[in-house]
Amino acid sequence: MLSRHRINARDLELVRASGAELLPRLDEYVEQFYAWLRQEPEFGQYFNDETLLRHVQNMQVEYWKRFFIGVVDDSYVINRRHVGEVHARIGLSVAAYFAAMDISLAMLTDMLPMSDTRYETYRAITKLIHLDTAVVTVSYNHIINEKMAGQAQALTEMSTPVTSVAEDVLMLPVVGLIDSRRAQEILSSVLGRIAETRARVFIIDISGVSVVDTAVANHLIKLTRATRLMGCKALLSGLSPAIAQTIIELGIDVSAIDTHATLRDALEESLRLVGIKLVRSHNE
Amino acid sequence: MHPRTPTEYALRVCIDGELDIPIVASRFRAWAQRSGASTIDIARITTAAIELTTNVVKYAQRGELYGRLLETPRQRAIELIVEDRGPGIADVAQAIGERFSTGGTLGLGLPGVRRLMDEFEITSQLGRGTVVRALKRIE
Ligand SMILES: Nc1ncnc2c1ncn2[C@@H]1O[C@H](COP(=O)(O)OP(=O)(O)OP(=O)(O)O)[C@@H](O)[C@H]1O
Ligand SMILES: [Mg+2]
Repeated sequence: MLSRHRINARDLELVRASGAELLPRLDEYVEQFYAWLRQEPEFGQYFNDETLLRHVQNMQVEYWKRFFIGVVDDSYVINRRHVGEVHARIGLSVAAYFAAMDISLAMLTDMLPMSDTRYETYRAITKLIHLDTAVVTVSYNHIINEKMAGQAQALTEMSTPVTSVAEDVLMLPVVGLIDSRRAQEILSSVLGRIAETRARVFIIDISGVSVVDTAVANHLIKLTRATRLMGCKALLSGLSPAIAQTIIELGIDVSAIDTHATLRDALEESLRLVGIKLVRSHNE
Repeated sequence: MHPRTPTEYALRVCIDGELDIPIVASRFRAWAQRSGASTIDIARITTAAIELTTNVVKYAQRGELYGRLLETPRQRAIELIVEDRGPGIADVAQAIGERFSTGGTLGLGLPGVRRLMDEFEITSQLGRGTVVRALKRIE
């Protein structure tokens, strides 16, 4: 990682040397920084709480102390990653984080005394700040992915509403894409409901599914087999002409699945199978 | 494998895990719909894109998908390229054969894509990666 950011031993040495100058004056920086922060809308929420503000300031002083030690090892990277996670969890945007790092860079380097190595030092500090920012961004990303996976999971759990539509008949409308995790979820919830209700027919309606690829087809075939093992017949409905065509072209053998163009067809078939006859009542 | 520039390929999607499959599906479909292809052709091309993306996720972990519309005065076609720097395929002829799978699934992805599309080409080098190029002529 150091070589990626072209940080060499000389850079770290310069960072350390500048630390000797800047650390004693860190209060000046903190003051300036919070003056800037106060007028940033996104940070406003942290100023309402005195103890929180104090805590954040302490963390920040710690951050720069660590920075100017000028040692980049595993524990340094872990520390920076943690900083990123904390910022992401409190909902601060990456953009705000970048802005804060940039203004810090400007404030700190402005405090550097005039000398022959001033520019070199400036570059060294910049490189290390960029390394920090890169690590922080990656951990932001990580948190966001985690959140997304969590949401997907929540959605999956909500989206397998196996419903009883008539005596002995269960139905599941599937909407969206079926990935392997969702397929697993569907399988276990369907089998669970079949065991519970002793249903004899199960309709799975895929009119809300936009694509049936080999993986989805494989899941559907497995689902049909599993329900059959439980003494329940599976009917597949809602195949659009386009999907029917692609399934055929993919070469998938669907002869084992009882398919119906519309949910209504499948429903009629299911009632016939369980011996229910619907008659129109003639109320005067 | 030559680098593909964003100007050449209007659609470019990074594949980096299972979560990217629905992203590929929806972005690809939306893009293909703008080309004015028929419903059935959109279903074919989108299905092909998903098959190839799934293979990347399963066998190579990460890769990229590219799409572009090729237009000549007489013809329009959608070109799809999916490439990865994964383990490569030892025997391409076997892989595109019916029902061959090292992943315990149906083994219909590659032969299926070949049937769904009008042109199909696969280049693979062991230890280097795989590039699949497929083309569908649209009215
Ligand atoms: N991008 C790839 N990199 C390495 N190997 C691949 C790649 N794509 C396909 N293969 C190999 O080719 C075989 C056949 O692929 P194909 O997509 O036809 O079937 P599958 O993925 O195994 O099953 P299905 O697609 O039916 O779910 C795979 O099992 C795998 O061994
Ligand atoms: Mg496949």
